[in-house]
Amino acid sequence: MSCTLGEVKNRADFIIYWGGNPAECHPRHFTRYTLTQKGKFLPRGRKDRTMVLVDIRETMSAKAADIFLQVRPGKDFEVITILRALVKNQKVSAEACAETGLTLEQLQDLVNRMKAAKFGVLFFGMGLSMTRGKHMNSAAALTLATELNAFTKFVAMPMRGHGNVTGADVVMRYTLSYPFGINMSRGYPRFNPGEYSTIDLLVRGDTDATIVIGADPGATMPKPAIEHLRRTPTIVLDPKVTHTSRLSRVHFTTAPAGISAPGTAYRMDEVPMPLRPALESPYLSDEEVLKKIVAAVQRRPGWYPKPHSGGPVA
Amino acid sequence: MRFLLMPIRSNKQGVQINVGKDGADYNAVVNTMQAHPDDLKELGAASGATIRVRTDVGEATFQVVEAKVSRGMLFVPYGPPTCQLYGGDTDGTGMPTSKGWEVEVEVVSREPQASAKEPQ
Repeated sequence: MSCTLGEVKNRADFIIYWGGNPAECHPRHFTRYTLTQKGKFLPRGRKDRTMVLVDIRETMSAKAADIFLQVRPGKDFEVITILRALVKNQKVSAEACAETGLTLEQLQDLVNRMKAAKFGVLFFGMGLSMTRGKHMNSAAALTLATELNAFTKFVAMPMRGHGNVTGADVVMRYTLSYPFGINMSRGYPRFNPGEYSTIDLLVRGDTDATIVIGADPGATMPKPAIEHLRRTPTIVLDPKVTHTSRLSRVHFTTAPAGISAPGTAYRMDEVPMPLRPALESPYLSDEEVLKKIVAAVQRRPGWYPKPHSGGPVA
Repeated sequence: MRFLLMPIRSNKQGVQINVGKDGADYNAVVNTMQAHPDDLKELGAASGATIRVRTDVGEATFQVVEAKVSRGMLFVPYGPPTCQLYGGDTDGTGMPTSKGWEVEVEVVSREPQASAKEPQ
């Protein structure tokens, strides 16, 4: 259950941010799409909307919220499960609520507001998806939004990170059917997070070479993964010299995508945004460098043994 | 003393990523932890002191400053120092647990360091 940010702007009268701090990490989100904009069905803008922030600490975003709910760390899944029970009018004990750092009254009030909304939206961030419970938390949040559609229109949307991370997911999905963690070694896509996902491959030492395009795992990934990148040949394509460049064997400086190289960026609601280059760059784009690498690899003879002709093996 | 460490994202960190990760500002941002004032008192450290944070995987040193956070918790923007602290187990999801680690903290220097950044 999702929608575009345009629909949020024009329709959403009830907005929840869960485990995210948009005031700092998505500074234009409030003003462009969610809180302060006047929408087609919300002519008074902020006055027509209610915003709830759910987080483990009082961030800058709490100042913009009508209601701030401070959850105990690692208890998000329990809170969502209680909300789902309350949505269905099931009994929930005050003790179960107290464990989460919230009271039954606070959670019942939230459920009443969610049901009474004309159009609700739940934005969830890394505080939900990268803490204890991980994908189960995200799945629970999506299920909560889905179940609320028995009462009103309710959608959920992840607060995607920097750059064009949504674009990578979207393109992988429409070309290979899966968003990440794809193994092409058999010539067709196989998807298995935990087995074919980047960090698992690196930590297990399954890869013997890595190409990094427009990312800096040397400054973001766990230590065992970084150590494997350092041990094996790593090639980096990036407009800047990064921490990963310093542990790699080859670094290609490329034109910054969207500034000096054309392309398409995807907004967090998966709306494609074509970008024309505004500035010239002396460097090739990522695409041009990759095409040259592919052409050079194709010119080389295959490394694999030729099929056996049927005669005796020496 | 044991704490729960929560790596986070911040506005200054996001800006400095684009300015350049070799800059003093970026390094100050990703090396400055936030803690509750009472926790600092218990540690016997002043705001801006240097602490060593240790997990089963590795260790790193940070400056720690007072901030409006819950007791028993430390917050720091993601960066090269936090990479030293977490392992690669993804629980089959493809994503390592990057928040909520239990860490052991010891004070390296009790006096404030000039490079510590004020909390945002």
